[in-house]
Order: sequence, then C-alpha cells, then structure tokens
Amino acid sequence: MIEIHEVTKKFQDKKKFVTALKHVTFTVKEGQVVGLLGENGAGKTTLLRTIATLLTPTEGMVTVAGFDTMKNSNEVKKRIGVLFGGETGLYDRLTARENLEYFASLYGLSKHETKVRIDDLSRMFGMRDYLNRRVGGFSKGMRQKVAIARTLIHNPEIILFDEPTTGLDITSSNVFRQLVHQLKREGKTIIFSSHIMEEVSMLCDSVAMMHKGELVYQGNLESLYKTEGSRDLNYIFMSKLVRGNEHYAS
Amino acid sequence: MLLNIFLKEIKDCFRDRRTLLLTVLLPVIMMTGLTFFYENMISDNGDEKYRLAVSESMNQDLKGIFTGFKNIDLVEAADPEAALEDGKAEAALLLGKSFSSQISTGEKAKVTIVGDTSSQKSSVLSSMVQTALSVYEKSIIAQRMQANGSDPSLVEPLEIQQREMADQNENTTLLAMLIPLILSIAIGIGSSPAAADLFAGEKERKTMEALLITPVKRSTLLFSKWLTIATVGTVTGIVTLAVVVVEIQMLTEHLKKALSFGDQTFTIIGLAVLVSVIYAMFNASLLMLASIFGKTVKEAQSYSTPVLMLAMFPAMGLSSKGINELSFQHFAIPIMNLFSLLKELVFGIVDYQHILIALTSNLICMIVLFIIGRMMFLKDKWVMN
Ligand SMILES: Nc1ncnc2c1ncn2[C@@H]1O[C@H](COP(=O)(O)OP(=O)(O)OP(=O)(O)O)[C@@H](O)[C@H]1O
Ligand SMILES: [Mg+2]
Repeated sequence: MIEIHEVTKKFQDKKKFVTALKHVTFTVKEGQVVGLLGENGAGKTTLLRTIATLLTPTEGMVTVAGFDTMKNSNEVKKRIGVLFGGETGLYDRLTARENLEYFASLYGLSKHETKVRIDDLSRMFGMRDYLNRRVGGFSKGMRQKVAIARTLIHNPEIILFDEPTTGLDITSSNVFRQLVHQLKREGKTIIFSSHIMEEVSMLCDSVAMMHKGELVYQGNLESLYKTEGSRDLNYIFMSKLVRGNEHYAS
Repeated sequence: MLLNIFLKEIKDCFRDRRTLLLTVLLPVIMMTGLTFFYENMISDNGDEKYRLAVSESMNQDLKGIFTGFKNIDLVEAADPEAALEDGKAEAALLLGKSFSSQISTGEKAKVTIVGDTSSQKSSVLSSMVQTALSVYEKSIIAQRMQANGSDPSLVEPLEIQQREMADQNENTTLLAMLIPLILSIAIGIGSSPAAADLFAGEKERKTMEALLITPVKRSTLLFSKWLTIATVGTVTGIVTLAVVVVEIQMLTEHLKKALSFGDQTFTIIGLAVLVSVIYAMFNASLLMLASIFGKTVKEAQSYSTPVLMLAMFPAMGLSSKGINELSFQHFAIPIMNLFSLLKELVFGIVDYQHILIALTSNLICMIVLFIIGRMMFLKDKWVMN
C-alpha cells in the first residue's frame, strides 16, 4: 500500500523555482498495477523518486506499507525495488553475477539467500549463459534483464519502474511485459511510468495521469473506459490533457 | 557493509585500465626517468675527465702541480697548442723556454693557458689550471720568502677553505624537491579516475540512484568511497616510492651514495610511506569533493585538475628553502608539509615533532573536507542529476 498525501515538490533551479509536483494525493492498494501517464516534464520521475525516498517532499507526506518515506526511509527501502530507465544502474566492469551479489549485500542478504535468489532470477530471465560475463559487453536486452533482476534481488513487495521499456526492441519489451504479468500473479504492487499507451492498457488495473505536476486523473482503467465511452487510451489521454490545459487557462 | 562496498569499489577500480595504467605504470615510468636523469647528472659532475696538453719536456716536479686534481689528465705533446687544435685536449699549458731555471733563480717565469671560452669544458679546465698554478705560485713565494728569512704568512693573510654544508649537497637538494613533486603528482593523477568515477561517474551512469535506494546509510557509502580513493592513491604512492628505492638500490651508484641513510633506512622508508598515505587521504578528500560537485566524469575531472594544481602551489616556494630554514608553517600547511617532510627525510632527518604537526593539520583538514562532503552528499541536489 502506497499513500501519497498532498505532496508538493519544488526544485530550485538557478534562483528559479520549478514546481514539479502540486498537491498530489492518491493511494495504490496492495497487488495493484498502476500506469503513470504524462507528457515530458509532467512530474512522473519526480513522483517515483519521492516514493522511493530519493527526494524529500517540500510539502505533504508519502507512506509505503505504513512507513513514512522520510522518517522511516530504511523500512521503506527494504520493501521497495526501483528501476529508473530501462537498463541502467549496472557496473560495466563487474560481471552480471557480481552486480547482483553487490546489491544483494547492500540489502543485507546472506550468502546463501543471495545464491538462491540469483539462481531463481537467472532461470526466470534466462540469463544463466552470461551470468559470469562482464556487463560492459552486454546488449540492451541482456542489460535490461540484469537490471530488472537487480531491482528484484531482495524480493520487494512494491516495485517502481520508470519508463522501463524506453529504447528497447520488441523482444526486450516483451520480457518486461511478461515479468509484470508474473509479478502481478505473485501479488506485488507495481507502479510504472510509460509513454506507450498499449503497454499501459495491456498491463494495468488502474492509471494515474499527470499534467504539469498535477494529478488530473486516477482510477480504475475499466471505469475510465466506461465514463469516457472509449477503449482508446491514447484518445482518452489526449482529451484529458486538453481539459487539463483548459483548466489551466481558467 | 562498509567492507562489502569497499571491496567491490576496489575490484571495480582496478578492473579499469586507466586506473591500472595510472597507478602502476605512470609512477614506474616517471620515477625511472627521474632516477636515470639524476644518476647521469651526478656522475657527469663527479667523474668528468679534462685533458690538458702539456709539453713533453715538462719535468716531473712541474707535473706534480696537478697531482691534487684527479680529473685533470695530462696529455704530453711535442706541441701542446697543436694538440689542443687537434681536439686531443680541452686546454693547453705553455711554459716559457727556461721556466724551471727562472723559477729556481728567482726570476719571473712566463706561463700561458690556451683555452676556448666558448666551450664549457675548456673554461672549467682553464680555471682549474689557474687554481693549480696559483697554489704553485704561493708555494714558490713561500720558498723565496723563507730563503730571505721572512715569515711566509705575511703574504698569506687568509687561509681559505670552501666546503659544502655537510649533508646538503646539491644533488640531494634537487632530489628532495623532485621526489615529493612526483609523488604528489602520481598520487593525484593515479587516484583521479577512481575519484571521478565513484561519485560523478555513478551519477552519470545512474547507478547512484540504485545505490541510494538500498538501505545503506549515505555516510557509509561516502566513507567507503573515500576509502577507495585513498587506497588507490596510497597504492600509487607506495608503487612510486618502491620504484625509487628499488631503482636507486639496484641500478645506480652515485644516487645510492647521495641517498644513504645507514641504520635509519627502514625508519625513513617507513615514514615516507606514512607521508604518502596521509597525502593520499588528503588528496582523496579533495578529489571526493570535486567529484560530488561534478555531474559527469568530465566535469569532475575539470574541477579536480585546477584544485590539485592550486593545492600544489604553496609547495613550489619551498624549493628555495634550505633544510634548516623550514619552520612551523611549512609543516602545518597541508601538501606543503608533504614536501617539507619528504625533504627532511631525503636528507636523512627524522623529526617526530614535525611529523606530528603535519599529521594533525592534515587530519583536521581532512575532517573538515569530509564534513563538507557529507553535507553535500546528503543533499538531493548533489547526488542526482
Ligand atoms: N533535480 C532537479 N532540479 C531541478 N528541476 C528538476 C529536477 N528534477 C526534475 N526537475 C523539473 O521537474 C519537472 C518534472 O520533471 P520529471 O523528470 O519528474 O518529469 P517526467 O514526467 O519524468 O518527464 P519525462 O517524461 O521527460 O521523463 C520538470 O520541469 C523538470 O525540469
Ligand atoms: Mg521521467
């Protein structure tokens, strides 16, 4: 369960304030898969970073599994797995296994737990062949698998993905999509941001739409289709944005 | 946890070819070059032979004038001036026809030194010959005065002796300047790829975010990274020193003498290692700040270069200071104290008070730098792009 309450985030950028999040409030229940939509600069990454304890909200608060992200950040960190960008966050000069072992140690996993977990994950992603090779020479898809495995190494209950499939080919994107299905079956709570509407409509139970730092819609995908009278998420998204802009003009 | 992070960082660093190149190869090359340059310079000064053309007919007594000058070789020739022109000698000594008899009868005897002022070797030889002749002249005056019954010391009111300060010979002085200079450059250059990589590089590659969402304290991360930079610097420092010591011991003759510490050898080497470790730690703190400031590896390196250059600036003024002129501030100012301490050590001086001053001041500076680094590292602005 993730509760975001009245969160505002301001950045100071060369004497100028940028408000990246404006009074954002919403809740993600356990086992839900939420798609986070919004134009470039809407505040998606900022919101995910705030949930992941990386950013301190200027106002408001976020709790994850009942723990405040600021006051109890360690408890939150133990329960959360985050992947920013599809295939980043790996050390090129280490092998895939060394990368995973390193992060496992940072999460405090024992040697045995680590071994079991790496075995499971590498079987799941079919990366046993290159587990002992240095990541530097990997293709995008291979890297993405290792990066996802890194995100899941400590078996987190909540997983955040920021644009996980950007820049990936169809095969690699499919790996990710299959994974989300599987994690969903395991009862994990997932939020991922995406610019690909079909991906969102395929994988998500509900969506959150952001526009210029504000949350313009949050709710169940099916009920959204019903109220909008369309199953074309792309179309719905665009019309929401237009309405959002009108809201700004007034 | 700290150990886990540290071990991983070290593994990562030493798999980087740049680090390996700069920590091991660079000091070896720099120090080897330096060692041989100095070895040649010293031996040039000490062993160079000068050839002086003299007449075949010069008698044994007169040749005795030059016995005290070990690096003057007498080249006997029928015509000394011709021998000089043929390049068989650097200078020629021409004595008047009846030189010996004039000396013994108390007359004025004529002597000519023929040299080439445009050649340094010839000038050096000419002045050595002049010195030899004036010594000879004095002995003749003394003989003649004694024959007259007067005290020879009348005409010799001064007895001039020139001597270099016991252990402050020129070669040691230069070496005392260059070893710390090369050591500090080697440590700075050796640890800078690691430093740039560990903060700015992680930001650039977005691994920093992955690190920061793990339940590891930021100060633990910071400290492990600092320790990694300091270790890489220390390795470079020790490799550099090892290369100097080994090469001087195995491959040189004169430097070995210029740098011999007797039974203090191990103390001095140990202290030199200690100084390198302290410097590597100080350097790591500076480079760490530059790397936290930088958003990319390139940016971090463009900050660290001027920082290191500036830091080395005060040390430059030291080259003109004699070993006995070093005072409190020379041991209190970081980096300068590395130069001062190593200078003392090269001269074989072990002063624990100076070492303590340097240690304390470096420690204080490091703590201050570390606190600044920690403050920055806790701010979102400096850890994420
Ligand atoms: N560290 C920062 N310093 C200053 N401004 C920032 C910072 N991070 C984000 N911003 C600003 O906050 C706003 C929201 O950015 P954010 O990265 O959250 O958008 P996004 O929805 O993820 O966009 P994209 O789809 O391009 O990834 C932007 O105007 C951005 O310039
Ligand atoms: Mg983004």
